[in-house]
Amino acid sequence: MAREQPITVAKSSLTVKPTNDWNRWSRRPSKKGELWTLDGLNLNELTFFAGVVSGEALYKERNKKDKPLPKFDPKMLAPDIVQMFEASNRIILETSLFEIDSVEPAKLGGHDGVHFTYHYTIQADEVRRKGDARAAIVDGKLYLINFVAPAIHYYDASIAEVRAIMDNASI
Amino acid sequence: MTFASCRHVAGAVLGVMALLTGTVAQAGQAVEAAVPSAIGYQPRDADERGLWMEMEEAERELRNSNFVVHDPALNAYVKGVLCRTVGEMRCSAARIYIVRTPYFNASMAPNGMMQVWTGLLLRTRNEAQLAAVLGHEFGHFEKRHSLRLFREVRSKTDAMAWLSFLPYGVGLLAQLGTLGSIFSFSRDMEREADVESIAYLTSGGYTPGQASAIWAQLRDEQDATAAERKVRSRKDKNGGFFASHPNSGERMLYLAALASSATAATRTGDAEYRDAMALWWAPLIDDQIKLNDFGATEFLLGRLAGSGWTSELLYARGELYRTRGGDGDFAKAAGFYRDAIALGSTLPEARRGLGLALLRTGAIEQGRTMLKDYVKLKPDAGDRAMMAMLAGGI
Repeated sequence: MAREQPITVAKSSLTVKPTNDWNRWSRRPSKKGELWTLDGLNLNELTFFAGVVSGEALYKERNKKDKPLPKFDPKMLAPDIVQMFEASNRIILETSLFEIDSVEPAKLGGHDGVHFTYHYTIQADEVRRKGDARAAIVDGKLYLINFVAPAIHYYDASIAEVRAIMDNASI
Repeated sequence: MTFASCRHVAGAVLGVMALLTGTVAQAGQAVEAAVPSAIGYQPRDADERGLWMEMEEAERELRNSNFVVHDPALNAYVKGVLCRTVGEMRCSAARIYIVRTPYFNASMAPNGMMQVWTGLLLRTRNEAQLAAVLGHEFGHFEKRHSLRLFREVRSKTDAMAWLSFLPYGVGLLAQLGTLGSIFSFSRDMEREADVESIAYLTSGGYTPGQASAIWAQLRDEQDATAAERKVRSRKDKNGGFFASHPNSGERMLYLAALASSATAATRTGDAEYRDAMALWWAPLIDDQIKLNDFGATEFLLGRLAGSGWTSELLYARGELYRTRGGDGDFAKAAGFYRDAIALGSTLPEARRGLGLALLRTGAIEQGRTMLKDYVKLKPDAGDRAMMAMLAGGI
């Protein structure tokens, strides 16, 4: 990504301005999502979801029959969005060690929304990861920016820039 | 060996290599030096030593896993049930690891490393059912099933490699047949372990019919999942040609038949089991609700409430309905939370849940009042700032 340039993500009107050399990942987390990384997805993962509509899941469903993901409802309150995010991740990552640490009101693209932090561990690598996300519902559609990185070094290394990206995002 | 095959094996041979089992001597026989559960038992040949070595490595990792439940009381209880089931002398050969994962399974490695998943503990309803699972796994260990399967796989995959030289797909059919016979072998060992579990149950004084009950419950749960999703039940999507385990319906039937001809023993240990699990219901049900399987969770909650809905179960039911959030769910959820509070629940989260449910039904003032209560009861809550805002500002 070009630094300091506004970039529209996830084929939508969501526009962000990175200050670092993030790379767009070739695989998309969903139809409405886009994935960026600095050092590789295991080390830093910045995901943008834009325009998720009613009845749609946040992530691409890998096993619709046996492990369906929760679906977005435009009438959701902030805690409901957080709940949906948690359940989606628990199912996709196949982990029971997922905790939401904080939830507070915040703005995304000038709209009222929510900022939440969390941490989790997956069985495959037993690495503790920390997450920070910002979300808002605009015109009945969900916009969410999520950053995840190992608690050791990588989260702290990028969190300031990530929060700036979230602060300055426009929808 | 695992108790239930959870995953479809696409890379069939790799999957088969991942199956692990142990062996069992007939319950009641004197323990000789030749059985894995004997004190001072050493692996007897290169194959067995190799398997144990790999398992030691795996156990080292498991011991350090974040997912292992270290609660001393729960661990002591589960170990106690194993010892009651297979005997004090034998049970010291096994090391039990309770793993925090919401799915139904247990496994036993050839070196005595046993895993029991918390999803299984949520589904076994009494001590006898837990004993049946532990006995089954121990059966694999005593009969050295891992070793036998390893040797079976090795010789048959050699054959399969040679068969690939045959032309015109003839070789392929023969390969599939050979591969199928490996899985058939695995299913036979599972049946053997099931037979052992009945013997262990009766010698432990447990009601043998409880082994079959586990499968009936699981199949009913799968029906409940399917009914809510308005799809066909997947309870028989197991036990096929490439399955490592027999069909669950088949297991339910032969276990019931074996139990009916076994000596009548009557301990089910309902109360003991509930006491042992008392502090674990809340987190395990929370894990279960977050699986997004409404039918199964409603089924399990209903079963747990068999002798009466406690305030904890009512709170959980509120969470379940509120999470689904379909038509009418918020009103129902509000009712469950209210019932929980009326029964004396002091959980701040019950007020939180009720408040959020009320907001979603449009009862704004009542919802805000409840959220104010939540914030007062739990001033250090991680979501305090959000709830305070939703409550209209505190």
